[in-house]
Amino acid sequence: MQLRERLQAWRYNLIPDHLIGEILTKRWTDNAIPFLALVITVATFGTLIPGFFKPTSLQASTRQLGEFSLVVTGLTVVMLGGGIDLAVGSIFALSAFAAVACFFIFDLPVWVAFLASLSVGVVFGAINGYLIGYLRLRAFLTTLVTFIIGRAVYDILVVTFASLVQMSSAQSNDWDFIGDGTALGLSVPVWAALILGIITHIALTRSRPGWHVLAVGGSRRSAYNAGIKVRRTVFLTYVFSGLCASAAGFLIATRLSGAGPGTGQGLEIAALTAAVVGGNSLGGGRGSVAKGMMGAIIVLVMTNGLIRMGYGTGTNQMVLGLLLAAAVTIDIRWLKNRHKVLNEVYVAPVYLAMGPTQSAEPNSGTPYALNNRLSQADAIGLGALEGPEDVILDANDHLYCGTRHGEIVRFFAPDYTRSEVFAHVGGFPLGLAFDAKGNLISCVGAMGLYSISPDRVVTKLSAETARSLTSIVDDARLRDPNDLDIAPDGKIYFTDSTKRYDAHEWTLDSIENRATGRLLVYDPKVGRTRTLLDGYRYTNGVCMAHDNKSLFFAESWACRIHRYWLEGPKAGTAECVIRDMPGYPDNINRASDGTYWMAWLGMRTPSFDLSLRHPGMRKRMARRLPQDDWLFPNINTGGVVKFDETGRIIQTMGDLTGASHAMVTSMREHKGQLFIGGIFNNRIGRFTIEGADAGWSGTLSYWGAAK
Amino acid sequence: MKFAKLILGAVAIAASLLTAPAAMADDPGPAAYSAALSGKRVLLVPLAMGFDLAQGWSAILKREVEAFGGTFETRDPNWSTEAGAQALTEAISSDPHPDVLVVMSPDLNSYAKILKKAQDSGIYVILIDNPANFPADAYVGSDWNKLGQLEAEAVIKGCGDGSSKKIALIQGDEVNATSLYQYAGIAKILESHPDFTVVAKPDSNWDATNARNAATTVLQQNPDICGIIDFWDGDATGTSAAIRDAGLAGKVFLVTTGGGEKTADCATLEDGTYGAVVMTDLARESGDMVAMIKYLLQSGQKPGTASPYIYTLLKATTKADLKPDTCWDLKALQAAAGN
Amino acid sequence: MERSFGWKSLNQERIVLAIAIGLFAVASVGLPGFLTAGNLVAILRSVSVLGILSLGMAVVIIGRGIDLSIVAVMAMSVAWYLQMLGNGVADLTAFALALAGVLAIGLVNGFLVAYAEVPAIFVTLASGSFVFGYVRSQLIAQDAVPVPHGHWVEALGQMRLASIPPEVFLFAGLAFVAFLFLRFTRWGRFVYYAGDNPVAARNIGIPVRPMLVLRYVISALAAFVSGLLTAASLQSINSRVVNSTLLYDIVLVAVIGGIGLSGGKGGVRNVLYGAALIGIMLNTMTIIDIPLLYQNLIKSTILLAAIIFDGVINPRDEQTAQQGDI
Repeated sequence: MQLRERLQAWRYNLIPDHLIGEILTKRWTDNAIPFLALVITVATFGTLIPGFFKPTSLQASTRQLGEFSLVVTGLTVVMLGGGIDLAVGSIFALSAFAAVACFFIFDLPVWVAFLASLSVGVVFGAINGYLIGYLRLRAFLTTLVTFIIGRAVYDILVVTFASLVQMSSAQSNDWDFIGDGTALGLSVPVWAALILGIITHIALTRSRPGWHVLAVGGSRRSAYNAGIKVRRTVFLTYVFSGLCASAAGFLIATRLSGAGPGTGQGLEIAALTAAVVGGNSLGGGRGSVAKGMMGAIIVLVMTNGLIRMGYGTGTNQMVLGLLLAAAVTIDIRWLKNRHKVLNEVYVAPVYLAMGPTQSAEPNSGTPYALNNRLSQADAIGLGALEGPEDVILDANDHLYCGTRHGEIVRFFAPDYTRSEVFAHVGGFPLGLAFDAKGNLISCVGAMGLYSISPDRVVTKLSAETARSLTSIVDDARLRDPNDLDIAPDGKIYFTDSTKRYDAHEWTLDSIENRATGRLLVYDPKVGRTRTLLDGYRYTNGVCMAHDNKSLFFAESWACRIHRYWLEGPKAGTAECVIRDMPGYPDNINRASDGTYWMAWLGMRTPSFDLSLRHPGMRKRMARRLPQDDWLFPNINTGGVVKFDETGRIIQTMGDLTGASHAMVTSMREHKGQLFIGGIFNNRIGRFTIEGADAGWSGTLSYWGAAK
Repeated sequence: MKFAKLILGAVAIAASLLTAPAAMADDPGPAAYSAALSGKRVLLVPLAMGFDLAQGWSAILKREVEAFGGTFETRDPNWSTEAGAQALTEAISSDPHPDVLVVMSPDLNSYAKILKKAQDSGIYVILIDNPANFPADAYVGSDWNKLGQLEAEAVIKGCGDGSSKKIALIQGDEVNATSLYQYAGIAKILESHPDFTVVAKPDSNWDATNARNAATTVLQQNPDICGIIDFWDGDATGTSAAIRDAGLAGKVFLVTTGGGEKTADCATLEDGTYGAVVMTDLARESGDMVAMIKYLLQSGQKPGTASPYIYTLLKATTKADLKPDTCWDLKALQAAAGN
Repeated sequence: MERSFGWKSLNQERIVLAIAIGLFAVASVGLPGFLTAGNLVAILRSVSVLGILSLGMAVVIIGRGIDLSIVAVMAMSVAWYLQMLGNGVADLTAFALALAGVLAIGLVNGFLVAYAEVPAIFVTLASGSFVFGYVRSQLIAQDAVPVPHGHWVEALGQMRLASIPPEVFLFAGLAFVAFLFLRFTRWGRFVYYAGDNPVAARNIGIPVRPMLVLRYVISALAAFVSGLLTAASLQSINSRVVNSTLLYDIVLVAVIGGIGLSGGKGGVRNVLYGAALIGIMLNTMTIIDIPLLYQNLIKSTILLAAIIFDGVINPRDEQTAQQGDI
């Protein structure tokens, strides 16, 4: 028993299962399969071919790769825009001919040959683009036909002018440098491909025209309805593809110093294969330049490698066919099933042995024994409210609460029957606090820390903290800001409950039970947020101690209350003041008598405590059962608990009927009355506290009498 | 004393007899031969490995090169100019690079620059079968002009005096030297036979189906044609099918050219499909290559020093000339080479 | 819909037909020897194999797919078959093996498209490449494989019925069968439904996926038949045809006649129109003795003109265009 549990604890707490899920959430995992294929291909051929990695060999063998990558980059952009360009082979050949003709026949300088080359590509691309973009012809058929036309024109030109080219004696160092030279160890085509690839990548991911291409490829109709000039965008993709193919054509012209009848034959299929093997999807919207490049490398290394190893006709096509089929199938299945896999593996429970607790049964004689006090509370906003997680009152006794619609609702004093939407924030406003100037500060679930001024202006204070270096998911983002309190110096102390789940998925976090909750502080003077503490199981309520030298915060899934010292010898450290409670603590607030109120959002059950010691069981549960059948913490019984600075429990109140305040997430004492909120409740409760200071209010306690 | 002298003399003779063979065996040839050739790398890059000539060359070269202790490799670009250029580029930059490249160029120009580079890095280049616009260390193959002349003469002879004297050409394409020079050769002979007219000269693009469609139309339009020259036996099967379709088998004299492989050429001559085939003597052509390889590797000359043309003897073969050894058998050759 | 003969009633199909008829008329008058029985048979013969391949392709395209492996299957299945015969395998065994291979490729294509949901263009591009590569490198020795003497394939090539070669009859017969299948059988109509709107077709209970597989098997079988006919007429089959522009010609014949690549539209008639145009055009140009290079240029320019004309008078709309329809 002991050993089994220990093994479980090691297995689930030391092996970071959760990383699999976190990696899967990353967009770059889309690149994983082509990248793996790339590594395998290069490694295989690198080992099989002696001298493959020698610089001289690489320099020579990568020239063709540079040219090919250029073509593939152009084709990738067309495919991202939802089209296809089969004419690249013809454009390539015609541009090569243009360069050769200018240089050898007309004896023009190299730069003229280069410009002539490019203009051939741009014109050809523009014709394709006009036909497909503006006339809306079908890309596949149209470029197929223009491909054949281009090929025919090229063949005629080569036949007619080949002898003139052969007789020419044109010479140029620039021409030879482009064809043979290297700069910084890399050949000109490789530089060209790299530079163009980087520019294209930046243009696609970080510029308006690039976004338009992706938008058109992603959904043409939506792009059109959103006012994007679809036709022009499509037109431009073909012009770009023509430009890329022609640059490659110019490069091969310099490399071979000639253009033969075979130039560019079969290039369209090879380029298409490369683009697809790299993981660009046909039909547009999904893909990247990097994918195209990876595909280009895989295809070329494989083709040339097999030829170099002396394999006969057909082996190449056989391997390429298999590769293409495998790549596309895996890519499609991956795309289709990724979220399913993610859903299954994301929840990665850890082991936790909860300590024994005192009973909370009514009349059990313990400090935690629940009574029925909360069931007698008056209801405010019954039926009109949805999800008031936290409640707060201002100096004029008006009552504020957040709702799950992303609004802050204000109930007017004194009878709280009239209400208005005070402000619309969005997200799910959770914890609330007033600062010294009367601004309402709120932790908004899934959004961050927001401030609402008395004249209802909503300002974002912070949505991020420093990113930790070892985290895979972006833990700089505040996923579940939960509760806050404000120190006299204006610093806002708040919790971000989990790094693993968004605010609305907090129940999943309870199943997983991983300690990723944080205590953070926002300094309004510098406008930055810092992480103070990390690694708690769902940090929740925060409350400044009465003397403002420390603060209390709740660790919900561990049923503990901690005290974090701001001053004194223990400054910057936390100590546990209450442990092993029978309920899951939520918000904490000051009480008028110098003690503190704490809300219980739910109660521990032996069954769930047991399941926490069986992470394997919870993992299977999360994978195999629909969510409705999962074993969750009990949130059907909550309560309000009063404790003092030493952690002594003074009083516990509950709603045994379960009708009005089954689950309590917050409570606020104000002028002798206690206001109660619940995240799943449809009301705010209010009752008078016997023996409380009828003049005490939170604003007074924090900020003193209004000036 | 006399006896002793005799003994001495006998010993001396015996000694000289014993040592003499050593002195006589001191031929520098084998050592030099072996020093120059063993371990040398020969690389064959044809247009593709998938046709009879390439496989024939490969089989013979492999046998010969391995016999002198070299290594022989082939690259198969499968008719792709780019793949061929890349294979050559990588071969030149590989380490150790080959010592001799035996290259069949797809056209006059595409490989010229790369082959020049090969010579610059100390590799001998032997061009085979297809000429290129480049001074190779040797060109071994057909004189395509002469080949065209032989074809024209064969078709003139095949048509005979009493015929319509109308002939058609099924050309390859208009780009390849083989096609262009062949045409020039034919034109040259026809000049001196003005009574012969060429009624059509479509291209087949070296494809049998194209050849067939073109020939069908030509025969349709000119049913009185007496002869056709098809530029390659690879697509002449299409032309012969068209002749058969038109019911003109035996009436139209089909001349083509090929590598002299048994099933491709001799069998078809035998059954009358082809009237005459201008054949390349594969064994002699390959023998020339081998000789050039051996010569170049021992010559010590810098690659690119000389560029001789070693034309293979061409002969127009008709059914009447067929002998059992006219053709070579690919299967037998491959079996002998052990691949 | 009311029939009108204005500009708007012109679509790609009718344009192609008009060009074909016009060309035929001009050639008949202007070219001696064009309008002879022999030449007409030659035209028919020259497009028969292309036509059969296009029929297979058309069935796939109407169901919103494309089969780029068709040429590879055509050449390589027959090349393998002939190679097996050359190696002394019994005819029946060899034929059964080749046919099984053809069916297997059709099934694999169909399975990957239907069940793995991989786009057809990639599946067939890959399978075509694989079929060519595998057969060429593993199963046959040379680019070209001859038909053994005295084999029935040779006899098929020499057979004539009223001096018309068998491929013409086969093309006519298969076209008629395809017409009956597409027009009058339930499964034939389903092809259109599945091509027009696969999701809706599936929702109303049409077995969309098995039918998809069936279409690829049909096109593979069409390829096999074409391959046998090609081998019969040329007495050999050359695997290099896979690298030729034949594939593009097939797509063009199927599509130029008006079968939309987006599926659900067109029929056997359109294939016939496309084949007629290509056949007449090539024949005329060969008679005039236009070099092959210029033939390609002229052919493709006319095709481009036809699709541009169609695009101009039947513009596509941003709102109705289908996503991913290339």
